[in-house]
Amino acid sequence: MKPDTEQSLISIKTTRQDHRIAWLTALAITIHIAESVFPSPLPGVKPGLANVITIAVLMLYGWSTAVWVSLLRVLVGSILIGTFLTPTFTLSLAGAVSSILVLGLATLLPGRGLGPVGYSLLAAQAHMAGQFLTAYWLFIPHEGLFGLLPLLMTMAVVFGLVSGLIVMAMLPRLDGKTS
Amino acid sequence: MTRADIFVIGFTLALLPFLYSTYWNREGPAETAHIMDQSGREFTVPLSTNQQLSIEGPLGVSLVEIKDGQIRFLDSPCRGKQCVHAGWLKQSGEFAACLPNRVSITVSGKDALYDSINF
Repeated sequence: MKPDTEQSLISIKTTRQDHRIAWLTALAITIHIAESVFPSPLPGVKPGLANVITIAVLMLYGWSTAVWVSLLRVLVGSILIGTFLTPTFTLSLAGAVSSILVLGLATLLPGRGLGPVGYSLLAAQAHMAGQFLTAYWLFIPHEGLFGLLPLLMTMAVVFGLVSGLIVMAMLPRLDGKTS
Repeated sequence: MTRADIFVIGFTLALLPFLYSTYWNREGPAETAHIMDQSGREFTVPLSTNQQLSIEGPLGVSLVEIKDGQIRFLDSPCRGKQCVHAGWLKQSGEFAACLPNRVSITVSGKDALYDSINF
């Protein structure tokens, strides 16, 4: 008798949305890992270009897709880099969660709301603030840490602005080409 | 860019100077001096009144001068006179000591300049 291999496979029904999340997350993870290779001038300072994807997803497909892409990126990125469940991961997750929450609030704005630059700036600052407070609360509960805050926030603003401008340049090219 | 974008950018640019002025400008003028003598007793002197103090140590008497919200070692019976060369202490957290004569002075204000110092 011929073994029926077809039957031993479990098939999961995937939706178009699942595929979209998977593809976009893969893109974000690639950027995340590529970025982690570069040395950082100051601990905690990273361009955070993977947020470009999060913001683009937010603009194109809405908040819930952005939540998936952002959280999956942190999870899978950390597993691939090898920082899963380390402080780095905790901080990364704290940043992602706070920026996602702030973005969620920002989408509730009436009228035309925010554009990519505004979203990106808010996300970058929320990311940094969430990360900073988590670091202060869990790892370095010393007042001296606050001396770093102005510098870190400046970097967050610079990179948030850059990411936002990248998204702004990216969106018109994506329109209509994505499913 | 929408109006909300402009608002967010404006808010951000206003936030940064606030952060720098709050967290990078912590040392203030000194208001009181804490003098410790050979017995380890610490006594606190306000810097608002001009006066000279004599502090007894194992080598002799160290002279300390308070003037215009500042304090310094005027003289000490030690060899190196590092305490005298330390000059006026006026910023909160500054510190001078005459180790041979076992006298130390530190000044404090609202905020300290240093958290701690090790030698």
